Amino acid sequence: MYDIATDHAPALSAAILLLAFSLVFVRLLRFLAGREALVPGHEGITGLLFIIDGLGFIALALGVSTTTWWRRPAALWLSATIVAYLVWVMAGWEAPDQVGIACKLIELVALGLVMRLKNPARTAWPRRLWRATAFPLLVSLTTIGIWIGGLAHPDALHAHAGAVLQPVASVATPEERVAAARLLADTKASLARYQDPAAAVAAGYKPGPVSDADPLLHFQNQANIGAVLDPDRPQALVYARTPVGLKLVGAMYQMPRVGQWGPDPGGPLTQWHQHEGICFSPLGFEFSFETPFWTCPVGSGSITTPPMLHVWIIDNGKSGPFAAELDKAARHQLTGRS
Amino acid sequence: MSETTATESRIEAAGVLVVLQASLSLIAGLSAIPFGIVEPGFRVLSVLTILVAVMMFWLARNLRRGRRWAWRWLVLVEVLSLTITVLLALLPIGTIRGPVPVLVNLVMPLAVLVLLATASRHAVPDRR
Repeated sequence: MYDIATDHAPALSAAILLLAFSLVFVRLLRFLAGREALVPGHEGITGLLFIIDGLGFIALALGVSTTTWWRRPAALWLSATIVAYLVWVMAGWEAPDQVGIACKLIELVALGLVMRLKNPARTAWPRRLWRATAFPLLVSLTTIGIWIGGLAHPDALHAHAGAVLQPVASVATPEERVAAARLLADTKASLARYQDPAAAVAAGYKPGPVSDADPLLHFQNQANIGAVLDPDRPQALVYARTPVGLKLVGAMYQMPRVGQWGPDPGGPLTQWHQHEGICFSPLGFEFSFETPFWTCPVGSGSITTPPMLHVWIIDNGKSGPFAAELDKAARHQLTGRS
Repeated sequence: MSETTATESRIEAAGVLVVLQASLSLIAGLSAIPFGIVEPGFRVLSVLTILVAVMMFWLARNLRRGRRWAWRWLVLVEVLSLTITVLLALLPIGTIRGPVPVLVNLVMPLAVLVLLATASRHAVPDRR
């Protein structure tokens, strides 16, 4: 879900370096001034604000050594920077990529340190309560804001939350249309022998764990793991759990490794996708979504699947035969669930 | 800077990082609740995660108050977290991809451990 935007890549190493110095606040502020390196990727008012932001951090970094009044302005400046990012992300003016999120993490650490630096004198309970809850509240609001922004304004390569599409050309050529039709026909012909799940099991396919959240059931064949888009040896068969039993609805081709996109003979028609940003729990084979800060519930772990391509051998409605997911209408018709 | 001030600063910095970790855990636990509607396992995991987050808030609070047992428990929690992350990173499941998981799951626990270690165990006043 949260990748690294191309124009942010040059700033990546600088951002990583930033955290190493984040524990010493004075150094951190000085390095935050280096965020101006991000400006070339941003135009107009955003670029101007980056410059102003960087200059502000430089001024505050100088103020740390020469003045005693820098704490409150530093806290306000850091808060304003974080809030501005949330506004930009939620308005859809900027996609929340990992560089932006990493910067917010560093700024949150800096803000937390500034807030703790103020010596806690004996104060009234409302102030003490605010002091204890303000930082966790800001961290939570930042996480939720980035999440909302990412879900409300996904970039073109996100099929849905948790699935990233292979970059492809926008229009298929006539040759690619023919190749896609051939792949569909070959897959249909190959899968004809597996209409009965028992035949699939006899051929070496093993059913995956049943999940209440998923009306589809994948039968995987470990012997086919090295095959690449071979209609005779698909990595998995997909069955729908209908009220009258399992019904074969498609095949799933999968590449051997994470990040290794497969051949796409149909160009944009046969676009691979990989699932990422998923928290997987081996207890009951269950899934939830990661937070933008890449955290999962205790007992589950973050996983990214190798790229996969589904070929639906039933009518998959508007989504088409190579869609990342079974069409909602088709799913409802088969399983009675959406 | 005197040794006491340096130790206090390290404890304060470690406390901030632990509160940040606790806040991130709290959000992870709360966000798993909707999945618990259809996935019974996540009902348990979300509650467990929220409890862990509350425990970390409590440990951070007691670390700042100079409780030595909080120091010990935090070292244990961070070592456990780091070990699990390293083990998951060794598997070909793409657990660590990009700067954010590196910072959150590797650098932050490591930073807390370094801060706790350099704060010197003996310098942490024991106010049981």
